[in-house]
Amino acid sequence: MRDAYLIGAGQSDYGAFPAESYRSLFSTAFDAAVGSVPKGLEPGAIDEAFVGTLGVGGRQLGLPGPAVTEHVGLDGVPCTRVENACAASGYAVRQAVAAVRSGMADVVLAGGFEVMSDTSSDATKYWLGVSGETEWERLSGTTFSGVYAQMASAHMDRYGTTREQLSHVAVKNHANGAKNPHAQLGFECSLEDAMAAPVVADPLNLYHCCPTSDGAACTIVASEDVVDAYTDEPIRIAGVGAGSDRVGLFQREEYTTVPASERAGESAYEEAGVGPDGLDFAEVHDCFAIAELLAYEDLGFCDRGEAGEFVASGATRPDGQLPVNTSGGLKSKGHPIGATGAGQIVEAYKQLTGDAGERQLSDPRRGLTHNVGGSGGAAVVHVFERQPIEEVAR
Amino acid sequence: MSAIVGVGAYAPRFRISAEAFEEAWGRFDAAGVNGKAVPAADEDPLTMGYEAATRALEAAGVEGVDWLAFASTTPPMAEEDLTARLGAMLDLPEDVGRHVLTGSTRAGTRGIVAAADALAGGASRALVVVADAPRGEPDGEIDHAAGAGAAAFVLEADGPARIVDVAEHASPYPGSRFRGTGEATTDGLGVTRYDRRAFRETVGAAVDGLSVDPDAVAIQAPNGKLPYRAAGDLGVDAETIASVATVHELGDLGAASVPVTLARALADGHGSILAVAYGSGAGADALVVEADGPVSTALALDGDDPLGYAEYLRQRGVVTAGPPSGGGAYVSVPTWQRSIPQRYRLEAGRCPDCGALAFPPEGACPACGSREPFGAATLTGEGTIEAVTTISQGGAPPEFADLQSRAGDYAAAIVSLEGEDGGAVSAPAMGTDAEADAFAVGDRVEATIRRIYTQEGVTRYGFKIRPAE
Repeated sequence: MRDAYLIGAGQSDYGAFPAESYRSLFSTAFDAAVGSVPKGLEPGAIDEAFVGTLGVGGRQLGLPGPAVTEHVGLDGVPCTRVENACAASGYAVRQAVAAVRSGMADVVLAGGFEVMSDTSSDATKYWLGVSGETEWERLSGTTFSGVYAQMASAHMDRYGTTREQLSHVAVKNHANGAKNPHAQLGFECSLEDAMAAPVVADPLNLYHCCPTSDGAACTIVASEDVVDAYTDEPIRIAGVGAGSDRVGLFQREEYTTVPASERAGESAYEEAGVGPDGLDFAEVHDCFAIAELLAYEDLGFCDRGEAGEFVASGATRPDGQLPVNTSGGLKSKGHPIGATGAGQIVEAYKQLTGDAGERQLSDPRRGLTHNVGGSGGAAVVHVFERQPIEEVAR
Repeated sequence: MSAIVGVGAYAPRFRISAEAFEEAWGRFDAAGVNGKAVPAADEDPLTMGYEAATRALEAAGVEGVDWLAFASTTPPMAEEDLTARLGAMLDLPEDVGRHVLTGSTRAGTRGIVAAADALAGGASRALVVVADAPRGEPDGEIDHAAGAGAAAFVLEADGPARIVDVAEHASPYPGSRFRGTGEATTDGLGVTRYDRRAFRETVGAAVDGLSVDPDAVAIQAPNGKLPYRAAGDLGVDAETIASVATVHELGDLGAASVPVTLARALADGHGSILAVAYGSGAGADALVVEADGPVSTALALDGDDPLGYAEYLRQRGVVTAGPPSGGGAYVSVPTWQRSIPQRYRLEAGRCPDCGALAFPPEGACPACGSREPFGAATLTGEGTIEAVTTISQGGAPPEFADLQSRAGDYAAAIVSLEGEDGGAVSAPAMGTDAEADAFAVGDRVEATIRRIYTQEGVTRYGFKIRPAE
């Protein structure tokens, strides 16, 4: 099996952009990704594309993939749209790795986009709930904020997790996002702000919820046979893991874990031959504050039930033992659904290539990205390693 | 011969006082009404009828009937056989005789008389469900008086409360209370003496031929004063009416006025009851009920959640915008219809391989993954909250935006529902009948049926949960 490498990644700004289209946003991300390839890349070298999008607004539900690849001049390239709700482009990258490893392709574009700001708030709500279990979960009156709030209620009941601990996620991610020029909500917030925000779905308040966003992100994956043509410091995609689960939360055994994340993490760790201790940073799926805490536990960053204390201790700040969401995460950077998974990998690429600006960690070698669809119906985890990898005592 | 063997009654928990109307309008037009019951935003005569019917069936200690009537002047659908839904909610056999009675405030007693006729004609057990929630223009007497309530009666050929005599009278008095085809609110010309004459003449004539000396009178009460004006025509004193009257605290119950009052009279243990219903137009029914022993009753007519006038308008949807336009997720009516056994009756499945419960009973077994068809299993409707949130304004899916603008924040929970033969299975459910913060992890709850949402003109009903009694 051939190894796959990440040779480029870039994104558009995340936010609300009335003057942009989904195609122009994708074009911006594509150019940024191509421009980030250390030794340059002729777009004609791309021989496969995977594009993630949920299709919010219904603007191009059929063939959205070719609709954006044609826009950047990739006419004729095999192109597949990947849909796994908020994990769409995380899975697009996984497909790119599969194509490279299988030998079907040498250079693959994997990205995603979403435009969520140009519909009325009513219409947006119709779209936000579409990845929940529709017949029962949604019709009990919940959208995602409600479902994640239910998970938070169970976690609080079982482990004593507090609202303040949830708010620490917001404070940390906003502090990080304030240093990210692409962030939608690039401002800092105090713990007081994050505690006092209006309730959305108890116990979650506005600061426990990510925004809706427009944006696009692209990555470029290359095979070991060609990687030397593009970079002298290759970033190996050392581990890929994925998992699915019952779409409705109520259909799962318990509500304080996301088994798809656990499964994805275990597979990715096994493939990479490392565990959480071997990571220098992680980008996790923090669509809601409780989701980041669950990710800590599902991915083994801390023990079950201890995520609240873990975040409050500062362990996941940039100067902590395991920095999480240096990009600002979905909370501050934004969450254009189909772009999010690829966007997390953009941050991993920037950190590993020393291009993270004010957010740059000190010489990170290995990072993880974790992307979840819905409330955990799908999850995908990638582990990236800068070559040559040297184990550094932590 | 026919007799009442079980009685149920229900009124919503919300109440509004005459003072609240006076504060809003500077006056209150419903004479003799001190306060009234107000249906919650997810209630209508069908759900109120379900509440009364389940209580009546339980009181009678029976499950099946072979004759069903539903009566209301305000059925949630002007055209549709609502007994099909009601029968499915109550798990009645699909071949029971069914009748919908509407169009007049004596539709409820018409249902009781029709049941008596059916029993005489060979039916073995009848269920009459009467529920009403009249509405008028906000500044008129009809709306000021309009309450909400339901009663249900199980009847058999013989039993403790026999219907010993029935009489009827009608003569043309158009215009005293009416609702044009397609109109949402009931109106009246307000010609006081004319209206009063129509009432007294028809009611008096209907009772005229009966031989009865009642110790309680359940009489039509469009307001709290008119019944007493007819006391002389009935040959009874005011106390005989007042002792069982419901209008003073529940308001005008429309077609359910006499049935709910009759239910109270039976619950209070009265031996000889005269029930007199009036329908404008005008006609009257008179029934004599002789109870020679206690009748099994289950009344839930108490309510103590006060509403201000603005909240009253919100709960009734008078000042809210209705459902938003949208797109995205959509559950078609045929899809919904296939899930009715689960929505109405919590029909689950039991895995033949591992014995686990599944809800809904479709797909692979949630516990062992078996693809063997599930065996039948029913849930008790009781359970425990496992996870819960309060959905605040703006957080509801668009299908529920109208409900939320009317009723405010609501609880959305995952509840572990217990199987009748053991085990438990989780289901998502919306909270009802209590404030959102009345639901917490670990709390005991029970299921009932309410309106879920309306789309494409079709209201979908299904189970919700409320704090266990």
